Amino acid sequence: MLFPTSGFLLFFLAVAAAMAALDTRFMAKKAVLVVASYYFYAQWDWRFCFLLAFSTTLSYLAGLAIGVAQNRSRRRLITGGAIALHLGLLGVFKYLDFFVLSANQLARLLGLQHELPFLEILLPVGISFFTFHGISYVTDVYRGDADVCRNPLDMALYMSFFPQLVAGPIVRAAYFLPQLARPSREPIPIAPALLLILGGLFKKVVVATYLATGLVDPVFASPTSYGGPDLLLATYGYAVQIYCDFSAYSDMAIALAALLGFRFPANFNQPYRSQRLREFWQRWHISLSGWLRDYLYKPLGGNRHGRLATYRNLMLTMLLGGIWHGAGWKFVAWGALHGGGLAIERMLEPLIGRRAQSPLAKLVATFVVFHFVCLAWIFFRAEDFEVARLYLAGFGAGWHDGVQQAKPFTVALIAIGLAGQFTPPALFERSVGLAARLPAWGLGATAGIVVAAINALGPEGVAPFIYFRF
Amino acid sequence: MVVLERELRKAPVLLAPASTPDAIPLPLRRHGGSSRQVLALSLVGTLVLAIFASRDLSSWLDRLGDGPVMGPLQHAAAAWDGAMDRLGLTGMHDLLRRDIERLLDWEWGAPP
Repeated sequence: MLFPTSGFLLFFLAVAAAMAALDTRFMAKKAVLVVASYYFYAQWDWRFCFLLAFSTTLSYLAGLAIGVAQNRSRRRLITGGAIALHLGLLGVFKYLDFFVLSANQLARLLGLQHELPFLEILLPVGISFFTFHGISYVTDVYRGDADVCRNPLDMALYMSFFPQLVAGPIVRAAYFLPQLARPSREPIPIAPALLLILGGLFKKVVVATYLATGLVDPVFASPTSYGGPDLLLATYGYAVQIYCDFSAYSDMAIALAALLGFRFPANFNQPYRSQRLREFWQRWHISLSGWLRDYLYKPLGGNRHGRLATYRNLMLTMLLGGIWHGAGWKFVAWGALHGGGLAIERMLEPLIGRRAQSPLAKLVATFVVFHFVCLAWIFFRAEDFEVARLYLAGFGAGWHDGVQQAKPFTVALIAIGLAGQFTPPALFERSVGLAARLPAWGLGATAGIVVAAINALGPEGVAPFIYFRF
Repeated sequence: MVVLERELRKAPVLLAPASTPDAIPLPLRRHGGSSRQVLALSLVGTLVLAIFASRDLSSWLDRLGDGPVMGPLQHAAAAWDGAMDRLGLTGMHDLLRRDIERLLDWEWGAPP
């Protein structure tokens, strides 16, 4: 069940009706949200619900066990065991066939005859996200950043809450569980939530979809059929497509949670305006980069043990961040590029400073960072290494032939997507101010008209979000 | 339920404040509405959508396949779309669709 579909609208109407009917009965509201979340998840494959329930039970019991453990070493043992089980589950469902494939390739290289059989396990949607939620909870309890959650309903809702279940944002236990402790006294921020939904719909249904079908998919499917201009524009197109696709999902998730009375953390903040790669990771998929920083980079030692150790930790963190995205060497390469880029940037910091100073330096820095990110996106998007190699090799040819695939409309979409990276933040606040003047029915009617218009602009049906497969 | 409510009073305490900023900042959350208003605007929005996007309502139900329930629903959606068409309310949808198709076919060196 995808957000921008009529099926989801009916589902949300039912949930909103239940929330309105239950009014101040917070426990009942949470119970309804858990049932709704499991129903939402079962729309992909009902069997995945058992996996989600197992992951939830594991985290819950581990939290209780950490809470009653007498000493630090026992707490450490329980935490380590729970994390290992979470990662084991992820490993089996997401990476087992990748390991089998890699082992068989290695065996062939070594001249061995025997090959391991593939299990062809179906990848459960959102497993990477709820696994990280489980690890976040257990680690936060171990560190003392969050208290033990003794209410199984709260734990079930934290792990399964449908707006973030299949593609994030990754919400920390220490951030979300306190919101389940007592009902929020804040009013529901209807106007900002609606604007986020409308903006998200436009980004996904119009910008991301037409960029994918009109430019990115055909060029990446057969890069040797196109010259340099098309390859370059398709690279920019993919940069805009993946941003519009993923940030649209995040915006809608944030808005849906807000309409149900919950807060979510920010996940994107105009990443392509970054002047340093480090800044890019503070603006792109913020909930993942923050998770990797706090649960991987810092435990590895962060920047506390000298330069070389810092570079190693950056590299390891980004390599694992890369493989988190998918079981494939191309994701490892993507992570390695970012890890290497971050390490080199840190190495050069005494020369270039942490921030660009002059307007020209800022412009150059933004240009360089954007193009480095685009280079890494080629590995991320290409079917495999060979396609990525052909794609990069193609940049040198065909400049006299002009563009074949990129049409004015797709180029305009790229321009719109990139221009959106440089709009002042106050624009959203001003828009919210204007929308907030309307009564609820007026907002609903206006939103209905805008959604109808976006719907008419988009093609029939909606492609799944890119991050669903991660 | 009573036990659970009691549990609630012993709420999990956030011992270390989360450094993660909220996606919707506090100043924008100060004004808003209730869950009843959320339901009201969702209903109004759905009704408006059913009027102005009746074409998509019909095609969405067609894509869901056949069945004893779906058949009558598809007929009803087609009749609803016909009614909206006669009232001239599908004009915006048709106009936008024509415009986007023209934009998609737009070639370099030719007017859109």
